[in-house]
Amino acid sequence: MRTFRTVALAVVMSATALSSIHAADPIKIGVVTPLSGTYAGIGQQVKWGLELATKEVNAAGGIMGRPIELIFEDEEANPAVAVQKADKVFQVNKVDFLTGTVNSGSTLAVGQVAERAGKLMATTVSFADSITTDKCSPNVYRVNARAGQQSSALAVWMSKDKPKAKVFYLGPDYEMGRSTVAAFKQSAEKVGAQSGGEVFAPLDSKDYTQYFGQLRASRPQVLYTSVAGNDTVRLFTQLQEFGLLNNLTVVGASGTVTAQNIGAIGKAAEGFVTGVGYSAEIGTPENKKFVEAFRAANKTDPDLYGADSYGLIYAYKAAVEKAQSTDTDKVREAFKDLKWNTPQGEKTLRAGDHQAVQTMYVVQVKGGKFSIVGEVKGEDAIGPDTCTRF
Amino acid sequence: MRDALTNSMRASHLLALLLVVFALITAAVGVAMNDTFYLRLATEALIFAGLALSVDILLGYTGLLSLGQALYFGLGAYISALTLMQVPSFWLALLVAILSGLALGLVGGFIALRVRGVYFALITFGLAQVVAKIIYNTRALGASDGMTGVPIINVNLGFTSISSASPAGFFLVVLTVTMALYAIAAYLLDTPFGRLLIAIKANDRRVPFLGYKATTLRLGSYVMAATIATVSGALYPMLRGFVSPELLFFATSGNAVITVILGGVGTLVGALYGSILLTVIKSVIGSWTEHHLIIIGLLFMSAVIFFPQGLMGVVRPKVAKWLSRGGTS
Amino acid sequence: MAEAIDYFQFVLAPQMVIGLVLGIAVILVALGLTIIFGLLDVINMSHGEFYALGAFLSVSLAALGVPFWLLLVLVPALMLPIGYIVERVLIQRVFHSPDRHVTTLLLTFGFGLVLEDVFRLIWGPNPLRPDMPISGAVEIAGLFLPLYRVFMIGVGVLIIIGTALVVYRTRIGAMVRAAAFDRNMAASLGVPVQLVYAGAFAFGVSLAGLAGVLLAPIYSVFPTMGRDFILMAFTVVIVGGMGSIAGAVIAGLFLTQVQAIASLYISPVWADPIVFGIMVIMLMVRPQGLFGRLGHA
Repeated sequence: MRTFRTVALAVVMSATALSSIHAADPIKIGVVTPLSGTYAGIGQQVKWGLELATKEVNAAGGIMGRPIELIFEDEEANPAVAVQKADKVFQVNKVDFLTGTVNSGSTLAVGQVAERAGKLMATTVSFADSITTDKCSPNVYRVNARAGQQSSALAVWMSKDKPKAKVFYLGPDYEMGRSTVAAFKQSAEKVGAQSGGEVFAPLDSKDYTQYFGQLRASRPQVLYTSVAGNDTVRLFTQLQEFGLLNNLTVVGASGTVTAQNIGAIGKAAEGFVTGVGYSAEIGTPENKKFVEAFRAANKTDPDLYGADSYGLIYAYKAAVEKAQSTDTDKVREAFKDLKWNTPQGEKTLRAGDHQAVQTMYVVQVKGGKFSIVGEVKGEDAIGPDTCTRF
Repeated sequence: MRDALTNSMRASHLLALLLVVFALITAAVGVAMNDTFYLRLATEALIFAGLALSVDILLGYTGLLSLGQALYFGLGAYISALTLMQVPSFWLALLVAILSGLALGLVGGFIALRVRGVYFALITFGLAQVVAKIIYNTRALGASDGMTGVPIINVNLGFTSISSASPAGFFLVVLTVTMALYAIAAYLLDTPFGRLLIAIKANDRRVPFLGYKATTLRLGSYVMAATIATVSGALYPMLRGFVSPELLFFATSGNAVITVILGGVGTLVGALYGSILLTVIKSVIGSWTEHHLIIIGLLFMSAVIFFPQGLMGVVRPKVAKWLSRGGTS
Repeated sequence: MAEAIDYFQFVLAPQMVIGLVLGIAVILVALGLTIIFGLLDVINMSHGEFYALGAFLSVSLAALGVPFWLLLVLVPALMLPIGYIVERVLIQRVFHSPDRHVTTLLLTFGFGLVLEDVFRLIWGPNPLRPDMPISGAVEIAGLFLPLYRVFMIGVGVLIIIGTALVVYRTRIGAMVRAAAFDRNMAASLGVPVQLVYAGAFAFGVSLAGLAGVLLAPIYSVFPTMGRDFILMAFTVVIVGGMGSIAGAVIAGLFLTQVQAIASLYISPVWADPIVFGIMVIMLMVRPQGLFGRLGHA
């Protein structure tokens, strides 16, 4: 009888406890992310990362006793749609915070919507430098590493592993592709690499073999490329087809080889090196726990998008708890130089430009998976604060 | 002279009036409920309705399917954004848009109107792709990220001024502009010019025998359509504060064509109703599944097969009959 | 003189070979398109999606263990009934409308939209790639030639010659040309016109599917790949002449060579505008293309 009463009491108490959390007004976070279209794979990782963190935070009592509620909208990787959906979650769902945008065009456009709505947003994927440099906004934060950090990390590795190497640059011919190549070229030349030539191929090029003549003539030790997605699959496959991978180390931007295309690239990706803000191989106990939980929930490993999105929820939690409120100005104040723990270590949100400073990892594809081959400290990888708008 | 065209035009006007009444009620409800999002969504629907209107002028009245009308829409948006970032004046942006539309329409028409039918569709498609790619790669225009920072402007109406940030206010501004575009198109198409266009569409070999040059007439229609698309595009950055190359992509042109087919080809007012219909459908289906393209595509295909005359194509003749019965007695 | 030969050997020739590979692929896609237009007078805006379908099918079947040689035959064979059904169920519905060109264009455009999303639904948004069936390369006169590409060129040429032979030298081909030239007369002479139409459409899309199978190992497979070729294919069909096989072949070779060689001298971004420009000029100067229509050539 006593056991029964204890159990019944326990059940009633936990029910009340649970219901008291749910009875509390939820903190709503809008997630405007591509759930359809070409970037659906990335949007999926973002969703998984956010959901896992939300589940954990809510199970532990939420933020200041209030549960987090995620509201998802599909932006189709089109800034016009992203802006429309952002408007919706701000005005109709009245979210306190927004995240999820993937391409930099969407992040910038939605950032403006956030400014006008008086709310804050963060990106966990976009790595165009401009978001926290010349186009920075007082309402936009970035918790993932930007292109500059990735290049710095990669350049440091190159100076140690391939000192004074001759580098050939191949990028997609659009803003992002060109600026990524330019940024890395600058970092690389600073540590002594020589430049062997550069070529910019149109986006969605089918055949990169037409540039191989130039590549061969230049006789480089390293090829740096900033292509992404399907273009990477084609470039690498064709490089292998033409036997060019035998004496060449291929390095590139973090978006070049990702979980979404590594399967299709296959053996041609072997040996590829890049600088990233996350790897599932990171040996810290926090990361091991995170990877296991992620794998259990989604039957696949987290990539940088999933991990950074996971980390964002904890950043927001830390800021709101510090500010003891979800009011925009108070949270903005709390975000200044906020330090918080993520699976990849401690990150700091630099007050001057809202950019996360973190340890950067240099990873290499070995046996179809990324392995860590180097680490660069946060302060060394982060560039100067060039944001002047606030 | 009250012929079939005039009758059907009058029916269109009645339906357009109905739309305006419905829109005004929506605005009033929106203001009462302090709504922002739905009013802005409706404003966007009207802006894209203008693009659909321009597609209908070409397809329904001139017999030309344009698969790249977003070219003018997008260029109008960029030109408007650039103007507003220098001089935040609504009227100036509108003026620049009209002039650009006329100029661009002449250039585009010169290239595209050499041919008709499929070839015309392919040329307009290709033209839009090529220009979109150029803009995508032009750093001065923001390249692939587009341009943010289009300021909130005040529409100076003399007796009062409406801010583009005001959901209901700007909705009414856009409603006025779109209905004005409709009115101009409807008027021009009900004149001898319009009848000649329809004659060309039916049999273009005979028309020269009547003393008219088919090519000049078509060019006139094309320029009108281009200008309407450009002006509609000019309104977009005022609403959303930014422009991006996606506004010129094939998806935008394709949506306009779908809008016209669903709404009713050759009815002008069908473009307006069709835009509202498509916006509602996309919103509803979009929150339900991420594979909304399959559903919209199937809907579109069924319309082409089973209801080629579209929504207004079914409604308008009934209204026209009702009107003419009331008129002649 | 030696400089010129050097230039030819190391710069021009490799570029021409690349153009040739692309050209064969484009011709295979354009052939189907031009037959469908020449015979049925139908604009198939979803043609690129059939190219993609062939590629996707080859990926799935290869994953099941089907060897590449079999795939080359199996996938086009699978696409024949699919094409047949599409023609009978969809195309025929709008075939008899007065503005057939516009309605079939619109219908196939809608169908293309649906197909692209269906690919995403079934195979996911991420790229896929079947293994390279023939690896290794050969070096002839300083020209580096991967064997698979040589194979592709060979197969492509065989298919093109085969198609031309079928159309111009067989009875079936004669029936097809007769139906294209004068439908009613052909019907009254006992040609099963409905069957010929559906069969021609099926053949056209299965050619596109075959191109998909051939290109999948080097160009990879993803839902939006149908758009890769569509502008080029339509340009080839227009420049060559709607309905002309010889036109598709010659225009296909010519345009891809122009693109390949031009990219040596000017930024490759201008490749598309140049191709588009040629299409516009052709339409302005000689709208029927280089050669006439299928039945009329």
